[in-house]
Amino acid sequence: MKKVVGLFAILLMLLSLSVNAKRENNELDYASTKDIMDINPHLYLGEMAAQNMVFEPLVLNREDGGVSPFLAKRWEVSADGKSYRFYLRDDVYFNDGEKFNAQAVKLNIDAVLANKARHAWMGLINEINQVNVIDADTVELTLYHPYYPTLTELGVTRPFRFISPKSFIHGQTKDGVKDYAGTGPWMLAEHKKNQYARFVVNPHYWGKKPALNSVVWHVIPDRQTLLLALQKGDIQMIFGADGDMTDMEAYQAFSSKGQFATLMSAPIASRAIVLNSNRPITHDIFVRQALEYAVNKADIVTGVLNDSETLAGTLMSPSAPYSDVKVKTYHYNPDKARALLTQAGWLLPAGQTVRVKEDERLTLLLSYDTNNAAEKEIAELIQDNFKQIGVELSIIGEEKQAFLDRQKRGDFDLQYSLSWGKPYDPASFVSSFRVPAHADYQAQLGLASRAYIYKLIDDLLISTDEIARQADYRELFELLADEAIYIPLSYSRTKVIYDRQVTGVGFNVSQYEIPFEKMSFRP
Amino acid sequence: MMKRYLMQRLLMMIPLMLMISFIAFFMLNLVPSDPAEVALRVSNIVPTDEAIALMRHELGLDKPFLLRYLSWLWQVLHLDFGQSFVLRTPVLGELAAALPATLYLAFVTFVISLVCAFSLALICLMTKTPWIDQLVRGVIFLLMALPNYWLALLFIWFFAVQLDLFPVSGLQESGAVFLPAITLSLSYIGLYLRLIRGAMLTQMQQPYVFYAKARGLSSWQIIRRHVLRNALPTTLVSIGMSIPALIAGTVVIENIFAWPGIGRLCISAIMGRDLPMIQAYILLIALLFLVFNCLIDLLQMKLDPRLRHH
Repeated sequence: MKKVVGLFAILLMLLSLSVNAKRENNELDYASTKDIMDINPHLYLGEMAAQNMVFEPLVLNREDGGVSPFLAKRWEVSADGKSYRFYLRDDVYFNDGEKFNAQAVKLNIDAVLANKARHAWMGLINEINQVNVIDADTVELTLYHPYYPTLTELGVTRPFRFISPKSFIHGQTKDGVKDYAGTGPWMLAEHKKNQYARFVVNPHYWGKKPALNSVVWHVIPDRQTLLLALQKGDIQMIFGADGDMTDMEAYQAFSSKGQFATLMSAPIASRAIVLNSNRPITHDIFVRQALEYAVNKADIVTGVLNDSETLAGTLMSPSAPYSDVKVKTYHYNPDKARALLTQAGWLLPAGQTVRVKEDERLTLLLSYDTNNAAEKEIAELIQDNFKQIGVELSIIGEEKQAFLDRQKRGDFDLQYSLSWGKPYDPASFVSSFRVPAHADYQAQLGLASRAYIYKLIDDLLISTDEIARQADYRELFELLADEAIYIPLSYSRTKVIYDRQVTGVGFNVSQYEIPFEKMSFRP
Repeated sequence: MMKRYLMQRLLMMIPLMLMISFIAFFMLNLVPSDPAEVALRVSNIVPTDEAIALMRHELGLDKPFLLRYLSWLWQVLHLDFGQSFVLRTPVLGELAAALPATLYLAFVTFVISLVCAFSLALICLMTKTPWIDQLVRGVIFLLMALPNYWLALLFIWFFAVQLDLFPVSGLQESGAVFLPAITLSLSYIGLYLRLIRGAMLTQMQQPYVFYAKARGLSSWQIIRRHVLRNALPTTLVSIGMSIPALIAGTVVIENIFAWPGIGRLCISAIMGRDLPMIQAYILLIALLFLVFNCLIDLLQMKLDPRLRHH
């Protein structure tokens, strides 16, 4: 039904006349389905794109996997890899007028560390031993181990971004902050909960000031209304990763309209199906391999994703650091899949459509989050693929919480696994394999090689030897491919639909950030 | 007499509210998700066993069910509905902030529905040509049958995008209330029209109308002076009871029109398994139903003196 309504809304839009966008006061109107919420940079309640507008990191992650100086103009790493000395810019002020200096860095990092439990997904949290102020503009971070993704993790959107110590409450940020004074190009001027937030240019900004005067973040929870608002010109941009703001149908409909432009990022995050090795049927590697061969990925990418994503042969996109590794790939081959199932003892009785083994039917369960429109269609295609080889796949779409509950219980044979994309991949992604609430953890429980997988992850994260680390990654990816624990499907891309009057639209390295500061209206 | 009745009704509301609160608390406890885990997850804390145990203790979930219910009830009696798991703010504040928007939308919807339904009912009754009556009813029932989220999108496209008469969504701009209110009112116009027209038709067949006609009164005079007055009490009950339903029924429309009311709050609470918020929402809506029920009864008594003797 939703699809019918969606198609209908798009049809209406194509029939409609063009309406000029509003651009009063050099103000960009952006809309999201979500409110910015509490943008405290040390917590996770707020929208990352909004947090990124106001709060800045010490270093900036680059597309090529490296980092560039930012609030820290340079840094030195000790020979043992356990100490990082940052030399800070001396021209940076928080938007409340407070100076950004080594003391502010220490207070912020200490405030983050005071709330360790909340940041358990990030390896760096447990590696930081001390933060020392060397002088007004120099700060030193000492680690327990030479944790290699240190700089990358310092650069991600949260939690290591800086808020004015004046905004702290009782010297802490974990229970809230007084206001949102950051060093970023924007400052939050007004916020009407669940309605809109207005960001204006930070007058104290140390870098190149944005060309726009302000950005208004409107909240429109319904995706069809969002498109209609864009059509009318109430908003000038929709920006979103993995179908959370817009789908491919809308994207294509708007591409063909002269007034709007569309843009897609390079492949960012991996979309895969994870096979649960801890369940009776999928515990058998022959079954898992058969399922790998049964999925027609080209059909998924063309038929469901309308070629908006790139077909994936490997779990991680080869463009991610350490991930350009030749591993075993499984190309669509239903005959081979059937042969493997027969070899595993799953036989197809005459006149039947589902294979059986000792009176048990080959029925599997795939669960997905109903919020994601594409996942349902992909699941249906896989269901059809599996049917061809005599496997019955039941699909359960559940709303997010129920889906997560099932994930944590490990009560699934197949589930989607989405990586976070750059700059989190591959380090944070593989690190999260060890977190019990993740599908990856549950799915790997039945592997004999699990302990070895964890050892590889532990080693590669704290290895100081670049070659050894690459070797560990290679071994890890080879092992995961051999164990046939993931069916890589595609590499997702971030999509933007915007009014042609807006220029400078592009992407940050992280799919969760939006570079508003580079945008302007066409003269 | 009235005062005693009012007291009785108010006292009756206490056990009813207690029952509702218990049922709401009990039912939400049957939800398979562990509230402690949900609370952890929304804060992006990895739900390890220790973290869950800690959170269960913090939320008082390690106590027996009845004790938890009683302590929750005690807090509610002190107007403390607890903290939202998702928003980390007091539930009462969130509801209080969102309620005016919903009441405003419901009020405008109610006025539009009532005015339209009355006018249409009069047209239907007074027209000498039967097909007009049938046409009006036909069109209204057709609109009633259409799903309102579909109509909402259609209206936005036509009235907001094409004709630029109204804003697409939100509450900031003037006139923003009309599109959601008109969409919502379509289902209520049909309902009210049926009620008013039915009640008035019944009255029109009463002997007093026949005698009034014999006295030479015009149809308009008969309807205005007699029929309306007599038809009112019966329709009033249903219309009155539809008000809390109206307030509770704005959920879908609020979502489509980005209206910052309690409907949207409720939807996101359900999606996020925000138990304190859902519990407070249920209590609020239940209270609205009881209060309106009571008010309508009192109004009915005022209009129909016979009821006072029962």
